[in-house]
Amino acid sequence: MDNIIEVRHLSKSFGDNEILSDINFAVNRGEVVCIIGASGSGKSTLLRCINLLEKPSGGEILYHDNNVLDNKHDVYAYRTKLGMVFQQFNLFINHNVLSNCTIGQMKVLHRNKEEAEEVAMKYLRVVGMDQYINAKPRQLSGGMKQRVAIARALSMEPDVLLFDEPTSALDPEMVGEVLTVMKDLAKTGLTMLVVTHEMGFANEVADRVVFMDQGLIAEEGTPKEIFNNPKQERTREFLRRILRDAKPE
Amino acid sequence: MTWSSFIKIIVKYWPMFLRGAGVTLYIAIIGTIIGAIIGLIIGTIRTIPLPDNKAKRAILKVINTLLSMYVEVFRGTPMIVQAMVIYYGSLMLFNIDMNKMFAGIFIISINTGAYTAEIVRGGIISVDKGQFEASHAIGMNHIKTMLYVVLPQVVRNILPAMGNEFVINIKDSSVLNVISVTELFYQTSSVTGNVFRFFEPFLIASIIYLVMTLTVTRILRLIEKKMDGPENFNVIPGNQMQVARPEDMVKNSEQTRH
Repeated sequence: MDNIIEVRHLSKSFGDNEILSDINFAVNRGEVVCIIGASGSGKSTLLRCINLLEKPSGGEILYHDNNVLDNKHDVYAYRTKLGMVFQQFNLFINHNVLSNCTIGQMKVLHRNKEEAEEVAMKYLRVVGMDQYINAKPRQLSGGMKQRVAIARALSMEPDVLLFDEPTSALDPEMVGEVLTVMKDLAKTGLTMLVVTHEMGFANEVADRVVFMDQGLIAEEGTPKEIFNNPKQERTREFLRRILRDAKPE
Repeated sequence: MTWSSFIKIIVKYWPMFLRGAGVTLYIAIIGTIIGAIIGLIIGTIRTIPLPDNKAKRAILKVINTLLSMYVEVFRGTPMIVQAMVIYYGSLMLFNIDMNKMFAGIFIISINTGAYTAEIVRGGIISVDKGQFEASHAIGMNHIKTMLYVVLPQVVRNILPAMGNEFVINIKDSSVLNVISVTELFYQTSSVTGNVFRFFEPFLIASIIYLVMTLTVTRILRLIEKKMDGPENFNVIPGNQMQVARPEDMVKNSEQTRH
């Protein structure tokens, strides 16, 4: 299998508090993997460990079979290969939409201005934000900000795109526009690792769903296996709770 | 008569006042700018996260200690005393006869630097953590993160505090008269020596100081507005309309009618 990222025996503790213990999984090229689970189950921490925003306490993260936790590994070059989309968007507030998408290309990948703008425009068109290139982040709605954030990540032309609960900070009517963009991206064959509470999205788009509970991967499988026929009692319990909340009487 | 001598002094000695005001403004501007640069550099260094490598860690700790010492020493002693120590000290100990203007700018700069370092540190801490994370996530290191994302936001946020420093420098440069820098206070003292009156020359000086500080405050307010950019932005009409706006719908329906 052509796996891009493989996580082996990954653990993470904050002080005595163990958030992740012995996580093993891999992301293959072209795959969409969704991580689901209750709040505090360690989903976001796992994602943040993968692009080293949090330093793992133990284990290995292999990127094309090289351990990125090795001291000699170039962390900065590695991060350019992983695009990250945050829950809180985190657009650069001192840059406008276009320059949010070009600054990384120019200063990290050393592309020239014309090339960077061409690439940025290409991806801003993909997310439908090409008309707003002059706007500052504070002038945009949440959904628009998140679409720009996706274009910013895509502009670096990464191997994998990581999404950390991309719709959790959005008003309900804006969730749709972001999910639509993500579905379109999934169809293009982009490799995506998505932490989400959107079960409908996971069911429809994911090739594989990972269910996390209390810092462990409790169950892993195709959306069909996880949503229709979960093996573990805690997976069933979680899904019951989520689906009940989604459909109030 | 106070009023007539007030006018007489202005008419006769205005070039001295003007030259003094010029020197004061010059020292304050250059001193504030250099001080701000010192502060930005020190603030950036002091917020570098501690590296894992032991040797690098030790070096960073030594540098941080030296920088703290610099900040504490210059914040903790009066500038008038620093002026004497630095100017006469360098003459006595190292036999360096500093140009007085250079000495004045030097003292104002390192003083401002010490204060600004703390202002900048506060500014960096107050920038949203997400801005750092987003920069790191696209592969920027600490220096790039600072240069392209964080410091521009810091500069905007500390501008009111820097305006304060500027105003303070215009006023406090008057202590440089102890090392005979020919700024406004020094010139005014010279005038009093000529006319044997104190009230009128210093009244004139205080008016000039006030005009300078008020002007500077207004200019800085304008710069702040400029940095914030326009409130509105242009939507660029594109071919792919993903988000339809009311005016586009009107246009489209008109086109179909024709």
